[in-house]
Amino acid sequence: MNSLAKASRKSAPHSVSPNRRRVGLLLLLPLIFAVLFSAAYPAAYLALTSISKSTMGKPFISWVGLNNFVSALQGDFAWSLTRTALFAIPTSLVQLILGVAIAVLLNSKMRFRSLGRTLLLLPLMSPPVMVGIAWRVMLHPTGGFVSRTLGQFAWLHTPSSFLGEMPWAILSIAAADTWQWTPFIVILVYAALQTLPAEFEEAARIDGAGYPRILFAVQLPLLAPALIAIYLLKLILSFKTFDLVYVLTSGGPGAETSLSSYKIWQTLFQDFNLGMASAQTLLLCLIVTLITLPVTWWHRRIQRTASL
Amino acid sequence: MSSRDGALAAAYESAARAQRSKWWQAHWAEAASPLVRAALLIAILSVVLLPIVYLLALSLKTPDQVLEGLFLPTKPTLRNWINIFQNVPLALYIGNSVVAAISGSLITLVITIPAVYAFSRIKIGRFLPGLILGSYMAPPMVPLIPLFFLAKWSGLIHTLPGLIICYSLLNIPVALWLLTGFIERIPEEIEEAAAIDGASVLRTLCQIVFPLMLPGVVSTGLICVILNYNEFLFAFFFTSNTTRTLPIGIALFQGERLVDFGQMAVASLIGVLPIYLTAIFAQKWLVRGLTTGAGR
Repeated sequence: MNSLAKASRKSAPHSVSPNRRRVGLLLLLPLIFAVLFSAAYPAAYLALTSISKSTMGKPFISWVGLNNFVSALQGDFAWSLTRTALFAIPTSLVQLILGVAIAVLLNSKMRFRSLGRTLLLLPLMSPPVMVGIAWRVMLHPTGGFVSRTLGQFAWLHTPSSFLGEMPWAILSIAAADTWQWTPFIVILVYAALQTLPAEFEEAARIDGAGYPRILFAVQLPLLAPALIAIYLLKLILSFKTFDLVYVLTSGGPGAETSLSSYKIWQTLFQDFNLGMASAQTLLLCLIVTLITLPVTWWHRRIQRTASL
Repeated sequence: MSSRDGALAAAYESAARAQRSKWWQAHWAEAASPLVRAALLIAILSVVLLPIVYLLALSLKTPDQVLEGLFLPTKPTLRNWINIFQNVPLALYIGNSVVAAISGSLITLVITIPAVYAFSRIKIGRFLPGLILGSYMAPPMVPLIPLFFLAKWSGLIHTLPGLIICYSLLNIPVALWLLTGFIERIPEEIEEAAAIDGASVLRTLCQIVFPLMLPGVVSTGLICVILNYNEFLFAFFFTSNTTRTLPIGIALFQGERLVDFGQMAVASLIGVLPIYLTAIFAQKWLVRGLTTGAGR
């Protein structure tokens, strides 16, 4: 029976009638058209400009081969890529752990649960620009209450300016990012927790396991594929961080917090070097792929063992 | 007889007490937890609300009070809330944002709903969703530069229609991802029955699948609206004076003036108000939309 169902599913593409196929293509037409504009054309444009000397005013001045890539890697862009990875990987992990903890908390029976869920949505819905401004005023050296409050403890070494000193500047960006994105992870983990059948928890409870044990030995292992997928999603989003850098530090002090997206923006709109910006963008895509590949592979492996 | 009864009761009582204390030892954490959990939730929510409440407090301060660096205003004033409308064309920015966000989201839905149906039910072009989702990994600069030149060439730069087209293209991966989750929860049997009754593909899509998908369509549309409303990078390059959207208005306001924190706080708060109201009143739809992907 099972093999029959499988066979029929396998033959399904061939059994699409020509008429149905024609209607299907018609339905796909708007999407194909849109993808040509939003993905195919940009990808081709990017590839071509990256191997040419191009400025914002005058694209395609001359072909230069891989020169842009070489000078991008020799310049400070290589360091910016490293910095972005050093920012994205740990902050995403911290946010995942926080997100799981809060989701578990919200998943237990308690008062004000739905109020808590509603309020948790707010950071996620806030425009990053507004998040940046809120954090900027909180951390401001003269008016901000964070510096003011911490400054009252004489024994605490606080910087005179949170956004002007390392490592405080990057930590401030990480804090604002965590504030904004942890709720997103909470919602996804919460949804995944609710898909778990209650029987597992009951069976473990009858065997005498306390909740911490149930969480770590039963629920989290079952959720592993979902958790890895969520981590992957957040990792990709972190590599794209732009708005927070723009509003909070503008890449400073020096170029210490200029993450890759911001760096590319600078190359493009301060140096007007389109060819170089394209090369940098392609390098960033390459790094994102290289870093997410092992996670994707791990996800696939766990999913396979889970389905066996 | 009665003394034996009493002894039995006492023994039973002490056994029960022992059991209770044993249970207590094993489960103290859970028994104590309602309080701990409530405390934790309050702590988390206060961190979540801190920046928002701080903006609210700032909006009630004069520049001098801001410099005091206290959390709450000593002499609250509504001056900022009144002045802001004279200093910044806030209503214009919000109007632009709302128009661009909603129209962009509607076009995204018009493009993706038929496509999702073709992928999921007619089962053609199934290699496309993976490819499109993959393109979402690229930083937003990738489409920005070429589309910028295209808009400049076609004269759509610095106009709202240009921005709307960009938004409708940008959210295609997200909408595709969410809508696929919704359509795959609709049992195919209903459509098969309709097909046997002689309904055409288009009729099945419009009269049977679309109504069943509607909750998912609303969730997806709302999420796209919010993403568009908050979008910064494209709005920065595709708009000018009269077509500025709100995030750009706020960011430029920050750059232009000697930083007046009170005014900036008011601008931010008025700007996010529509979004926060949506979040509070449409919570069910938003959460449902955000979670279809994770459930798969």
